[in-house]
Amino acid sequence: MKGPIASGAILLVGVFVFIKYLLPLVTAPLPASLIYLYMTLAFSGIMLYGTMSASSLESLMGPVFRFLSGEGQSGTGKMARLAVLVLFPLLVGWQTYTSLAPSDLPPGENRTIHPAPPGEFVGLANPYQNNEANINMGKGLYAAYCSPCHGANYDGKGPAAKGFNPPPANFADPGTIAQLQESYLFWRIKKGGVGLPVEAMPWKSAMPRWEVELPDEFIWKIIMGEYDGAHQSPRTWEEDD
Amino acid sequence: MLNKLRFLSTIILVGISGILGSTVGFASDPPPADEVGASVSIRMYQVEGILPADDPNSPQWASVPESEFNLAPQVHWPERIQEVTVKTVKVKGLHDGQNLAILLEYEDPTDDVKDAAAIEFMVGDKKAHFAHGQPMLQVEGGPVNIWFWKKENGKALDMSAKGFKTLSTQEKQDVSATGAWADGSWKVVFTRALKTEDEEDVQIEPGDWRSVAFAFWDGALVSGVPKEKGSQKAVSSWWSIRAEPSADNSIYGWVIFGLALAAAFELVVVRKLRKGQSA
Repeated sequence: MKGPIASGAILLVGVFVFIKYLLPLVTAPLPASLIYLYMTLAFSGIMLYGTMSASSLESLMGPVFRFLSGEGQSGTGKMARLAVLVLFPLLVGWQTYTSLAPSDLPPGENRTIHPAPPGEFVGLANPYQNNEANINMGKGLYAAYCSPCHGANYDGKGPAAKGFNPPPANFADPGTIAQLQESYLFWRIKKGGVGLPVEAMPWKSAMPRWEVELPDEFIWKIIMGEYDGAHQSPRTWEEDD
Repeated sequence: MLNKLRFLSTIILVGISGILGSTVGFASDPPPADEVGASVSIRMYQVEGILPADDPNSPQWASVPESEFNLAPQVHWPERIQEVTVKTVKVKGLHDGQNLAILLEYEDPTDDVKDAAAIEFMVGDKKAHFAHGQPMLQVEGGPVNIWFWKKENGKALDMSAKGFKTLSTQEKQDVSATGAWADGSWKVVFTRALKTEDEEDVQIEPGDWRSVAFAFWDGALVSGVPKEKGSQKAVSSWWSIRAEPSADNSIYGWVIFGLALAAAFELVVVRKLRKGQSA
């Protein structure tokens, strides 16, 4: 095969290989739905380009139409046409079945991991000095109260972590406390899972409401210990604004 | 001729996009790597005939696929516990359209009088916190229904809660359970009607998803006191459970409809092409 059909096909394969296998080398893998969108765009572009003039239309679609109409075909051509004509309805039937068949997957849930905090917790500053004594006290409290779930290594892999859904936050991951301000952590520790708004699904969280058991001083010092132990720094207003 | 070609290329384009869309677009993304292997739901399979509702050792259970869930020590509120005996639970479910049977199987090295197991469900439309439906600060929660089996009397209690210290035994008892211990593991089968008249109960409508959680107590005595009791227990978070709906044969009707539609589409295209070429 040569001509516009082959070029179009090569271009499509090239686009697919690029977004599916090459892009993930530099960024996160794309979701299947986005790959589909890009492939549709590429396909539509090729079709638009190929149907711009009568002659390009003929050279792009002519072979396809002659193949489908089956006139003057013999041997492999005839068999291939028959195979396409039989496989197409089967594919449609199979798609219909898989999209209707009952699944064991419960309906998907979109849980917001870092929802907006209540107004009274925005912009609070840690009233305790960031010094070694306070950090060490925070680390001790962390070991006693937080590490069973969040882990002695601040990685969310404590001995109690495995049973929870959602899993305890991994503070060593740059996507968690490094993205948040100290005031945000203060809210999350003080009010716990039950303090979350609806989009964060508070009914699933095992995070205790620590205000019931710990004074604010302990919570602020735990925050210090957490950042230091996880080798992260809090996001600050200065950087944001 | 050109117009005809344009028309045909358009419908072929639309057709191919449709096929590509349904194959690629609906393909779901794989779950994150660390979730692979753990179950997210329980399917209660529909059976014809008798449910093994009071026999955890019935050979009928052997062929039922299981779901498995990790458990954690209860750390959400005091009295906490840091280390629990029961680390995972295997769950199987069956129903016959009227009644359900749920089998919990878990490792516990000793058979103790104070051993216990419980299944918790959300009741109604409001979300309930998995810790006994305790109040949430920004969301109005609902109650939970707890099925609580104790080795001590070999019975199950049908209970309700909406917050701490609200756990109470319901007036109307609808649940029964049977436990059997052998070779270091418990098998406990719970049974109840799918639907009851009691509004404090979870109502199971085949085909609909419900939220479910589990709890286990190892009653082995340590210095004369049970190792786990009350809030000191092994727990799970919420997972999903569903009684399998009756087989729906309309699916096959739709499949045949799809096949016929695709074949008719082909027929029209081929006829148009042949006319176009002979014209």
